[in-house]
Amino acid sequence: MNRLWRMLEPYSGFILDGFLLTLLACICAIIGAVCIGAAIASLRTSQNRVARGVAFAYADIFRNVPFIVQLFFFFYGLPELGIYIGAFETGVIALSFSGGAFVSDVIRSGILSIDQGIIEAAKVSGLSRYKIFTKIVLPIAMRTSVRPIGSVLINLILTSSILSTITLNELTGSAKIVASTTFRPFEVYAMLLVLYASLTYALSAAISAVHRRLNRSMEIGA
Amino acid sequence: MRYSDFTPYDLILLLNGLGVSLGLFLATTIIGVFLAVMFTLVSYYRIPVLTQVVVALTEMLKNSPVLVQLFLVFFGAPAFFHVNMTPVAAATLTISLNTAAFAYVIMRSAIASVDVEQIAAAEVFGHSRWQILTLIISPQAAAFAIGPLVGLMINQLQVTSLISVIGVMDLTKIGNILNLRTLQPFIVWTAIGALYYVTAKILASVGGRVEKNLRRSVVWGGI
Repeated sequence: MNRLWRMLEPYSGFILDGFLLTLLACICAIIGAVCIGAAIASLRTSQNRVARGVAFAYADIFRNVPFIVQLFFFFYGLPELGIYIGAFETGVIALSFSGGAFVSDVIRSGILSIDQGIIEAAKVSGLSRYKIFTKIVLPIAMRTSVRPIGSVLINLILTSSILSTITLNELTGSAKIVASTTFRPFEVYAMLLVLYASLTYALSAAISAVHRRLNRSMEIGA
Repeated sequence: MRYSDFTPYDLILLLNGLGVSLGLFLATTIIGVFLAVMFTLVSYYRIPVLTQVVVALTEMLKNSPVLVQLFLVFFGAPAFFHVNMTPVAAATLTISLNTAAFAYVIMRSAIASVDVEQIAAAEVFGHSRWQILTLIISPQAAAFAIGPLVGLMINQLQVTSLISVIGVMDLTKIGNILNLRTLQPFIVWTAIGALYYVTAKILASVGGRVEKNLRRSVVWGGI
């Protein structure tokens, strides 16, 4: 263990940089995915048939095509359109789009599980449709879908390792460089496994905390 | 510039890649489900040390990126254990274990979904633990597990696209080659994406049919 640390010690700053980049990409992508997911979910539950169809097609395509193909599509395709952005931005956009499709599924089922009586009561109270959706439907749907969204987000963190294939030196990318400089791939990748596992454990602990906070009024004896 | 156009041979290349992807997917699914059944048996019989090993292994596999697992097996294992590893062997090993880890969780929750009273009744009738598993638990657990398992398989089909990174000539790798040669990313990646999409849809419809078949004895009375 000591020898392993002495070998990795000179690279710890480099790995840390990669870790921070992964963290930053994941935070941006999580925000993007939840926003896109909420928007798509509201379209998928709307009265308008066209909006419903478009949103369904979006979710269907992004869930059934591998992420790496989507990533290459954006990475090589966007410059064709004259949009020149860096690998980091491309990665965050691709992660948000694909994460958004999965999040939209979860929020949609959260919306569909809402008691119709609540919506009728809101209509009777004279609230506008927009108010009903943003102030009543969405908060309840978000509350019930915190845990399933959490597992989607954990998956998103694991998926972010694929960003190393578009020349982004996030955690996996920098570990790859360290592995090829030290000639100790097994130790480096095993350490990487543990790092990712700790990241996902931290996220699932955070999700549990959010779940408890949003559902604090639901607790028995609260 | 002479070779930058699409040629009829590219179609054969695409089919080739699709074949490699599908073959690897089928092989890893069969091995993975078999391993998952073994894991489930270990935890069902509560074999002392093995159960903890299975739990630790599956937790580790579920909580780390497949790409890192692939690198660990393909680059790490040969350097550490001094064994030879071909890309296909590394890909098969990694994806099989990954499928097994997720399928194990589904199977275990399927077993847990069977009423405890039924098992208690079977014990009273003097059935052995093996008889309870094969005659009472597994028919009901199979009907419960088939939906999530089909979902997992569709997901694993997409996971196989990652093996292109370690050099297996699968559909994504072919896409990469065509993309670099023709420099027409929109056409190439749309075609690759469409092929994956169609395959996933076929898989889903076959899975739906199997599910209907397994569930025909389960009458859903509504809530």
